[in-house]
Amino acid sequence: MTAARAPRFVRLVTAVYLAYLAAPIALLFVGSFGNLWLNTLLPSGFTFRWYAEVATDPSFRRAFVSSLTVAALVVVLCVVVGLPLAYAVFRARRPAVRAVARVLYQLPVALPALVLAFGFIRAFSSDALPWLGSVWLLVAGHLVLGLPYFLQAVVADMQRLNLRVLEAAAESLGANGAQRFFQIVLPSLRHSILAGLIVVAALSIGEFQFSNLVAGFLNRTYPVVQLQAFYGATGFACAATVVLLALALAASFAGAASTGGAIRPAQVH
Amino acid sequence: MLLVAPAGALFALFFAVPLAVLAVDALGEGGTAFARVFALPTFWPSLGGSLVLTLVAATLSTAVGLAVAVHLASMSERRRTLLSFVIALPLTFSGLIVAYGFILGWGRAGFFTQIVAALGADAAVIGKALFTPTGLAFASSYYLIPRVVMALLPVLVNFDRAQLVAAESLGATRAQAFRQVLLPQIAAPVAGAACLVAAVVFGAYGTALALVGTQLRILPLQLYSLVSETGSDFPAAAALALLITAACSAMMTAGEWFGSRHERHLAN
Amino acid sequence: MDAAPAVAVALAGATYVYPGSSAGVRDIDLEIASGEMLVCIGPSGCGKTTLLRLIAGFVKPQAGSIRLGGRDVTGADARSRECGIVFQSYALFPHMTVRDNVGYALRVRGVAGGERAKRAGRMLELVGLSAYADRLPAALSGGQQQRVALARALVFEPRALLLDEPLSALDAATRVAMRDEIRRIQRERAIATLLITHDQDEALSLADRIAVMREGRLVQVDTPQAIYDAPASGFIAGFVGRANVLDATVAGADAVDTPVGRLVTRVHGREAGAKVAVLIRPERVEPVGDRETGDNLLAVAIERDRFFGATRALDARIGASRLAIETSSRAPVRRVRIARDAIQFLDPVPPSKEAT
Repeated sequence: MTAARAPRFVRLVTAVYLAYLAAPIALLFVGSFGNLWLNTLLPSGFTFRWYAEVATDPSFRRAFVSSLTVAALVVVLCVVVGLPLAYAVFRARRPAVRAVARVLYQLPVALPALVLAFGFIRAFSSDALPWLGSVWLLVAGHLVLGLPYFLQAVVADMQRLNLRVLEAAAESLGANGAQRFFQIVLPSLRHSILAGLIVVAALSIGEFQFSNLVAGFLNRTYPVVQLQAFYGATGFACAATVVLLALALAASFAGAASTGGAIRPAQVH
Repeated sequence: MLLVAPAGALFALFFAVPLAVLAVDALGEGGTAFARVFALPTFWPSLGGSLVLTLVAATLSTAVGLAVAVHLASMSERRRTLLSFVIALPLTFSGLIVAYGFILGWGRAGFFTQIVAALGADAAVIGKALFTPTGLAFASSYYLIPRVVMALLPVLVNFDRAQLVAAESLGATRAQAFRQVLLPQIAAPVAGAACLVAAVVFGAYGTALALVGTQLRILPLQLYSLVSETGSDFPAAAALALLITAACSAMMTAGEWFGSRHERHLAN
Repeated sequence: MDAAPAVAVALAGATYVYPGSSAGVRDIDLEIASGEMLVCIGPSGCGKTTLLRLIAGFVKPQAGSIRLGGRDVTGADARSRECGIVFQSYALFPHMTVRDNVGYALRVRGVAGGERAKRAGRMLELVGLSAYADRLPAALSGGQQQRVALARALVFEPRALLLDEPLSALDAATRVAMRDEIRRIQRERAIATLLITHDQDEALSLADRIAVMREGRLVQVDTPQAIYDAPASGFIAGFVGRANVLDATVAGADAVDTPVGRLVTRVHGREAGAKVAVLIRPERVEPVGDRETGDNLLAVAIERDRFFGATRALDARIGASRLAIETSSRAPVRRVRIARDAIQFLDPVPPSKEAT
């Protein structure tokens, strides 16, 4: 065991990295409760007023609702569109389908959100497709950017569970197509479906680069509005950011809780 | 076929069509739009800025991510699960959270800037550093390092650590064992992870916009300015968008190639 | 007697070749009687799992027919065939308890919850897992999962039981115990059973009849003893049990010339000079003392001697050729005798078959 321990400098890097990881989060929390923070090491005074201000600000309220609406729509559509696709990719024998899926997995990185947003602006401000400013356009963009993550999570789980054999077993026991889908496929995938949807929702809620260009004035999402706060008081900006941070953290905890049952030692070893 | 129809429609309408429109914009005038991009006074400085940002961010996050992944792989499974959860947190953070957190820490009046200044460093220099491509690389690594760790952790966990013990039993020092036994075997996935984060950071503008505004010279911010300003040259913007996409896709493809090389290595 | 017809499973000329490849099964004629345990054995890739999938209905034959319980099911889908299947990976539903797994076939048949639990409980009793009914499959050992899979496949009284390498994922000790368990349950339920394996011990100890498969075809179907004692080819002899297969020439009415020397045996009317192959099982090569006299005595030099406790496996050299010997004797071996009736003629194998 001792021989397998990591070298000392590697452990040092991890320690420094964890501090680097924690510092911005800690400072945001501290700043959001600080009454005044201007050219001092730490803020002075303790207050909840920044949160109250964010909560009563009409544009932040609207943006918050808008973000949650978009995320909810994205999640629903993700199941409708993504689950059949995941199943098709999993069952595909032709290498072409698998190749398309691999390209899809890389899409959110290979195609920057900025470029997609610009494409949306050019394509959907035309007379043929005059949709710019619609909330559905935001939903569509978030779906294109988030679906690959959902797909990857669910297809990997299908492979891990050997879903094909489970279905064959159910079929041999007399289950018809609908029974197989609702009694075997869906329940056995529930962990990865939930975890995938949580990631998609979290990405949608935090998404800035696409929404900033495509959102109409009335359906601006939370991060788009939040950027304006950076030019105001530190405490207000911190509180506005902490709201977003809290949503992301909640998503991470929910995700961990949902996969906790699915990750078994056999998978990790 | 029925199963892929909804996804096919989605990607046709909201991926293929927008990209096709950009391609028509950019290529419509016989490629002169590209010439106009190269002639923009800010293009070459922005390309330089993007290259510095990408190179520094990819190098820094790959080096740190590799070290952290090596450390995690050597832990008990329980501690590893817990720490990887913590390390994965920034993956769902918006770039804005990162930006403001770094302003609080390393900005002109930031927490760490003031501490370093109290220790005798020039506060003005430190406070400005965050707003350069290198400083942006330092902030961007916040969400790049987790990607590196998550990409390398499975590789390192599956690496048979008995090889390191064997190397030490044959007389290698621990550092030699890492360098001569471990590193050559994980070189391909490490290169793959570096390509992945390079592609991510090359195409991103959110953190940069929140940190500095559009003054910073990197290509995505230049594209953002062209897109958001009224009356700009849309064909030139489309050409720039295609150039950025091509660069990101190329880095991503290179990363995939390294990844598949590792898989082939395992299969043999 | 009950109403079940004597032949539970019947394949006639059944053929299935995977699209775009030459792998599959060709022209299979096979019958499994009610209550019979038929074990299909063959090297990996010989098509034995395809045979199971054909009977189960996961693939449909491109030619020939399949009958289950007297009913033609050639075109029927897997659902309606009512075969109980135990998969190599068990394929237990990970989100259901052991009881729900076992009761699943009853659930899709609309059997009410109470009755379902009762019948699942009886099956669990049969496989000795009543105490585990409320656990999830992941909490069971491999052998226990195997029993659940068996109970699940039997609960709806299927027309046939199909087991696809059911023991291959178990450790050696569990495997032997499960082998007896499967045999006991299969006997008790008196169900026509096809078991796929590549393990000859499993085949010999479990089967009422063994079907040996090679390159998509059945090459011999017979009782374990007949397969062992009178294999139809050198391939079968080598695949079921250890074997010395020697090229030989008929040297008259009662002898053959082999690489280890002239051996006296009955040649059953074969013409002198005919090229034949003969099989000598290692345990029929009998070590003898120096003073022994008679036919077929050979002096041997022992090259390798492996001790297995109850037996020893020896590699002996005679001139330029080798002979495998199995004996329980602990004494040094310098001479052996091959009894006349230990030498069996194998039908010569066409060279084209041997090439691949």
